[in-house]
Amino acid sequence: MADAPAIATHGLTKRYRADVAALDGLDLEVGRGEVFGFLGPNGAGKSTTIRLLLDLIRPTAGTASLLGLDTRRDGVEARARIGYLPGDLRLADRLTGREQLDSLARLRGTTRPELRDTLVERFGVTLDRPIRELSKGNRQKLGVVQAFMHRPDLLILDEPTSGLDPLLQEEFRLLLRETASEGRTVFLSSHSLDEVQHAADRLALIRDGRLLRVDTVAALRAHAVRHVTVTFAEAAEPAAFAGLDGVRVESADDRVVRLAVPAGAMDAVVKAAAGHPIADLVSAPAQLEEIFLDLYRAPPDGG
Amino acid sequence: MAAELFRRGLRDHGRALVGWCAGAAAYVLFLSAIYPSIGSSPDIEEVIQNLPDAVKGFFGLGAVDLTSGSGFVDTELFSIVLPLIAIALGIGSGARILAGEEESGRLELLLAYPLRRRSATLAKGAAVGVELLALALVMLVALAAASLVFGLELPFGHLVGGVAGVGLLGLLHGWLALALGAAVPNRGLAIGVAAAFAGVGYLIGGLFSLASWVEPFRFLSSFWWVGQSPLSSGVTWWHLAVVAATALALLLAASLLFERRDVMTP
Repeated sequence: MADAPAIATHGLTKRYRADVAALDGLDLEVGRGEVFGFLGPNGAGKSTTIRLLLDLIRPTAGTASLLGLDTRRDGVEARARIGYLPGDLRLADRLTGREQLDSLARLRGTTRPELRDTLVERFGVTLDRPIRELSKGNRQKLGVVQAFMHRPDLLILDEPTSGLDPLLQEEFRLLLRETASEGRTVFLSSHSLDEVQHAADRLALIRDGRLLRVDTVAALRAHAVRHVTVTFAEAAEPAAFAGLDGVRVESADDRVVRLAVPAGAMDAVVKAAAGHPIADLVSAPAQLEEIFLDLYRAPPDGG
Repeated sequence: MAAELFRRGLRDHGRALVGWCAGAAAYVLFLSAIYPSIGSSPDIEEVIQNLPDAVKGFFGLGAVDLTSGSGFVDTELFSIVLPLIAIALGIGSGARILAGEEESGRLELLLAYPLRRRSATLAKGAAVGVELLALALVMLVALAAASLVFGLELPFGHLVGGVAGVGLLGLLHGWLALALGAAVPNRGLAIGVAAAFAGVGYLIGGLFSLASWVEPFRFLSSFWWVGQSPLSSGVTWWHLAVVAATALALLLAASLLFERRDVMTP
């Protein structure tokens, strides 16, 4: 079990109503020591997935395991080894931060005060004021501390940096990297690419309850469309590119032609361009943002 | 561990509990203070005897002697006010501690911790139980003190039985509300259904002696089971045991029901 995947799901499906699948046959495997990004627009099924993993809701079909422990049968043992930060964190408003953390530590039954204190210091957590008086960001910091303070083997984080200022977001990314380097696993769910692209090793894309794609950030970039700008020595002839497979002429303006080129068509583009004297040629990968927007927009089954 | 949920349940409701207890004690003392002037005035008895039989029957008047301390306390406190206080505390607390916490979204993080839903439900039910125990003890102390100070001469055995009945009535409705909240994540529904059950029980308890067709249904009245004149007539202990067993069955049902269903997010 020591080398069981941090998260494994098989055909995991949840229907709140008979005709709508909030999650539809999710097959996912997250290895130990990964920072895994789980990306999708609001309502894609991210929170449903997380709530199934935590056994807060029960699957209509399929199974899931955390660290080799079945989420239904061995849920308590599994949850003893994970830390969770909800997307919509609701704490006990009347308690102070310190009382809230103490209470949660007692609820868990294990405490590592020195680890908690380190986190409190690192994120500048306000401990001695009632939680109802705290800003969203300061509450979120308490959420971060409670998720990490028992040194769990797996962290399940739902939009963790919402409300944190940029400096703390950077500190948080560092914490994630440290966690992964210790062989522990981070499952990072977000609708925002910014939140995950610098932290995650691999990304899963989910939309309408279905997994669209799982890949490394580097591979996603590598497979993405290139933006190629060719500057000719004399007036350009964009028609030369229009016939190439998958290539799109984005603009043609006197001597400058801008093209969107799929990864496999680069060779043909360069050869086509070489028929005329070239002054300059620039190729830039698409922003990851574009890749995701394209995937989000694609029709569900068309690819 | 789940015991923390018990602690938190009591703490979160601590101020309200103190309020209910103080209110109950104040009412007991205030009402008992009136007794010396009523006990020495036989006119009251005459006024009551002249009331229509239906009114006397429903409110349990006439059956007891209002000029005796026991009859006075039965009529003024045990017939409706004390049960109402205990039931209101029980239902409010039972509905809040599970369905209310769930609706507010605060339960989600706690249930993501390593504890069984069963244990969580039982811990919360225990907190409701301790609240009612505290209330019952306050009532007992207030009544015992009032009995001494204002010369009510309440038989202590009957007093203990009566207060136990009131506490069990609160517990029954409190754990009913808990079980309803465990079945459906809706605090309002839990309060409404449990309160309706209490209302129907009170009506049947008042009517069964008047309308013969109601009589077979008296077993459905929680009020009938605990008895409505405990100080004059004493309580039937096995009746109280039935109420306690029913309450326990509801708590058990709550823990099983909550184990099965999806937890709601607001």
